[in-house]
Amino acid sequence: MITILQWTTLAICGLVALARIPSAVRGENRSLFYIFALMTLAILLSIEAPYVAIDHALGGVNLTNLLLRFVIFGAIYFVGVRITKGFGAANAYRLITGRTGMLALAALSALVVVVYLLMDTAGSSAGLVTVSGKDPRNGLLVEYYGAAGRAYPAFVSLVLFPAMVRAARSRLPLLVRIAAGLLAVGGLSIALTLFFPAVPPELGSLEFMVNYTAVLCFVIGLALIWAARIRQDKRAGSGTSFTEK
Amino acid sequence: MTLPAKAFQRWLHGIAPDASTADVCRVSGIKRTTLAQQLVRGKVSVSTVVSISRAYNINPVAALAGFDSYRILAGPPQPPTRCELVSQISTADLLRAALARPAMDPVGRRGAAPPALSPVPHASSVKNWVDAIDDGEVRHRVSAATGIAPQNYSAQLTANRLSPELAVATSVAAGVGPAGGLVATGLVTEEEAGWAPGARQEALDSMSDGDLTALVGDRMQALGKVLRRQEQDQAQTEKIWENLG
Repeated sequence: MITILQWTTLAICGLVALARIPSAVRGENRSLFYIFALMTLAILLSIEAPYVAIDHALGGVNLTNLLLRFVIFGAIYFVGVRITKGFGAANAYRLITGRTGMLALAALSALVVVVYLLMDTAGSSAGLVTVSGKDPRNGLLVEYYGAAGRAYPAFVSLVLFPAMVRAARSRLPLLVRIAAGLLAVGGLSIALTLFFPAVPPELGSLEFMVNYTAVLCFVIGLALIWAARIRQDKRAGSGTSFTEK
Repeated sequence: MTLPAKAFQRWLHGIAPDASTADVCRVSGIKRTTLAQQLVRGKVSVSTVVSISRAYNINPVAALAGFDSYRILAGPPQPPTRCELVSQISTADLLRAALARPAMDPVGRRGAAPPALSPVPHASSVKNWVDAIDDGEVRHRVSAATGIAPQNYSAQLTANRLSPELAVATSVAAGVGPAGGLVATGLVTEEEAGWAPGARQEALDSMSDGDLTALVGDRMQALGKVLRRQEQDQAQTEKIWENLG
């Protein structure tokens, strides 16, 4: 079940990224292509088999996991910037790109690196399962590492949330409103990841569901906005009257 | 509100005893699947009855009066008030009429005689109609009588819509002819509701220069608000396309 979810998410993300290449070549909103590409990479790195393969190539010390954290940070930063700009959420934009946001990004990045260096990271394993099983000290460090890695995405998505709810209830085109709703759900899911330490181990699959729901909501939401634009352009091309809203 | 399928079947049998459902759909231009679905659900829409009545040369208002929930429509048609008639003239027609009045141009240059009035309903016909018959309490009485929440009622008016049931309820609450709302929503024509031909033009001609000019001012102000809102929505949508499309 989880494997299916992982690979379908990867497939959807990869397809959207591929579909975005022509417009990226034309120079239309290239950052959107980077967002999809980064998300695809992030999902690829979170699946066991590709993770282990890549990590072996990188020396087998779970450096890939650190890389994954920064891929996620990068993707969520660009998502935050594009969405707040697009939806005209000036306050949210300032929070993400201003001093608060940069400070949060720098501090959490440093924390992730420091905790990574403190861990005994030998032995490739997605989600650092074997590392955390080595001894209580490493187990605790993995918890901190995970928490620091989840904190920045949660910060950005919480900043986005009010603007998305507002957009979903506005008079914007229906597809855009649905997209905003999806982005709101995705943001909420990411925020929920903050509570992962409180989830009992038996419900581990719940964590996967929340993670992939979040990614899917973001990817499909962003793709829908793109689709809405294509639809609008087509309509405008076929010459509708100006009275149509 | 929809009409019960049983009552509809009985009525249909009364006007076209030998016609099959397929025949009825063909002459009235209703899609077969639409009617079949309405019959299966037991709820036939009012516009179905209107279309069929027209196809069989029956006055749709009289036809509706045969159903329990629209009994109030029975009897000789009540003539519309002057306010109602004027409310069913489009803003552009009112403006043209005002410009053609000598009082508008003290120099004595008369505008060209305005063309014939455009047909009912116009772009804000429902809202203008309710405003025209509202003594300040009509909305309260409608919501008390039908149980609709005031904000839902307002939302329908803003969208220039009103369900037939609410249209009749509004007429009753305002003490005007019961079919007026059906004209304003475009469900039936002026003629079908028993409005004399040329009644709107006569009502317009009987307005004093001052009243007409003041009314045009109000309408223009409302139109300006609507247009500005559309422009804002459009600008916001453009911004989303620009950043996320």
